[in-house]
Amino acid sequence: MSVVKRPSSVSQWYLPGIFVGLYHTLKALLYNLSHRQKMQTLDYPEEKFEYSPRFKGTHVLTVKKDGAIRCTACMLCATNCPAQCITIIASEHEDPSVEKFPIAYEIDMLRCVFCGFCEEACPVDAVRMGPEWQIPGISGTNFVKGIDFLAFRSQLKGGISSVLDDQERHGQGI
Amino acid sequence: MLKCTINGKEIEVSSGATIMEAYHKLQEEIAYYCWHPGLSVAGVCRMCMVEIEGNPKLQIACNTPVAEGMKITNESEKVKESVKWTLDFHLINHPLDCPICDQAGECGLQEFYMTYGKYNPEMGDRKVKKHKVVDLGSQVVLDTERCILCSRCVRFTEEVTKTNELGIFNRGDHSEIGTFENRPLNNKYAVNTVDICPVGALTSKDFRFRQRAWYLKEFETTCNGCSTGCRVNVFHNQNGLFRVKPIYDEAVNGHWMCDEGRDIYKHINLDQRLRHSKAGAQQVPLEKALETAKQALKAAGSSAALLITAQYTQEENQAILDFFSNELKSSNIFYWKNNEETFEDFDGLLIRGDKNPNTQGLMNLLKEKSASGSWKDLKAKVESGQIKTVLVAGPEMLSVYPDLNEKVTVLSKTQTIWLSTCEHEFFDQLSLQLPVSGFAEKNGTYVNYAGLERKIQAGVKFVAEALTLQEIVSAFRGANVSKTNEVAL
Repeated sequence: MSVVKRPSSVSQWYLPGIFVGLYHTLKALLYNLSHRQKMQTLDYPEEKFEYSPRFKGTHVLTVKKDGAIRCTACMLCATNCPAQCITIIASEHEDPSVEKFPIAYEIDMLRCVFCGFCEEACPVDAVRMGPEWQIPGISGTNFVKGIDFLAFRSQLKGGISSVLDDQERHGQGI
Repeated sequence: MLKCTINGKEIEVSSGATIMEAYHKLQEEIAYYCWHPGLSVAGVCRMCMVEIEGNPKLQIACNTPVAEGMKITNESEKVKESVKWTLDFHLINHPLDCPICDQAGECGLQEFYMTYGKYNPEMGDRKVKKHKVVDLGSQVVLDTERCILCSRCVRFTEEVTKTNELGIFNRGDHSEIGTFENRPLNNKYAVNTVDICPVGALTSKDFRFRQRAWYLKEFETTCNGCSTGCRVNVFHNQNGLFRVKPIYDEAVNGHWMCDEGRDIYKHINLDQRLRHSKAGAQQVPLEKALETAKQALKAAGSSAALLITAQYTQEENQAILDFFSNELKSSNIFYWKNNEETFEDFDGLLIRGDKNPNTQGLMNLLKEKSASGSWKDLKAKVESGQIKTVLVAGPEMLSVYPDLNEKVTVLSKTQTIWLSTCEHEFFDQLSLQLPVSGFAEKNGTYVNYAGLERKIQAGVKFVAEALTLQEIVSAFRGANVSKTNEVAL
């Protein structure tokens, strides 16, 4: 139940309230000027906040040892995605031990709700969500990101390696 | 007749029937891989174990005939335990590459693992590696690692097509399916082996990696590839149609269908369709095109001609023929027969030379209307100038009408209204084209070569402007086309 408080006669005198507010602002300003090291804010965009590696931010497609994309185009992420923002087009790979791979893997960043279900569904550690949290763009930017961005953007420095390797597994007789 | 009890339910089966058949008659669940109602009994997968009262050992249901008074169950713990460990043996060398396997989602191994399995594998040894992505022929790809050696495909080529391309090679856990040297699996029924494969060992090249099974919905219809008219399931989603599989119909196709019939979904997809009505190469609004057509036909009256193909449903044929004989009072009805030389061909199994789904039905209707005109008559009359307005109920499957070009060239000299499902560059010479629905977009009846009626069903609607012949006729009679279109959706 919502209770509506009628304004009392005291609160109608707003000038004292304004002076109290200004006093607090001035106090904080002077404090921050004299203790700059303890300041809570950052000089964005020159300084950026780094979240922990477990943060569910921008997606990363991992790569194999040979640098090729790890994804096998099984579509489990796309099936599990509640926002339906993942589009994969699968194709036949020349190498029979790879067999299937995505020729297109696109995530619509504006539809994505960053729930992390794709990461959970992936059976081969091909898609992860990284600590990056901003995808800047100007008017007209394409926010449907393909393999170039997801696996090989400059911030990833040549790609993140998957922990699951088919060659190793075959070697162990699995 | 023999009486037996299955899982506590009594049933009568004919003498000689196996326990498996009794299970199917009762629609009781039973696990199996190698048994198939259209093939001989192999009894190799050992999954269909049942407990028979008074019998100390479990028996396989597929190869044990029912005896009078038998009490059979597959719900006891003993049976479940047995099936569970049989499945473990099947999976010893299975690669478990479900993420890249096309069968995932409709795989027998996945299904029975969830019902009977759920064990922790106890095999300590390394898996035997075999060949992957083996090209068996023009249609089928084999993965020998996924194969559980049920031998269904081998029996299929042996018993149904009698071509014997496939065999099991090597021994023990090195056994694998394969073809002989220089004898690929290239018969005209090869994709049936993909359908009957209970695991992902055989996959179809056409369907491979295009969709996951769980993205597809299906509806039952009749194949329009030839006059046999096999019952089929068409699989589709919002992106289009993706594959066709046969359904059992004892009187028509049994369990199988041909590979040509598997391609019938392709022309329904948007990339091949005529999406708008056109005057020449110019796109015109549907209402305007229908009005033009109506005026032209009404103006021509009894001199208007109809050229009809056997590619439409019985209901559509009836509507358009009635419109010509009753409203226009025209007797200029001509039948366009394609590939006349091979019309009577039959390969002994399913494929017929008559590549129209409804020849028999159209013949019956034409006989009723006593119309016997053929293309030659129409051509003569068009060239002599007797006929100036022609409505063509054109073929839906353009590929089986090799004489298309010749017909279009002759008809381009007159005022021609061509009804077509698909687009073709020749058609731009014609004065008017109207888009019509394909077989997956309308309800109706086909009459096959033997006179059997089979229904087709509207499962999708890809082209908003596409109408059925009934709708076009009712538009000619003055009905509001946008309204009829809404009803169709």
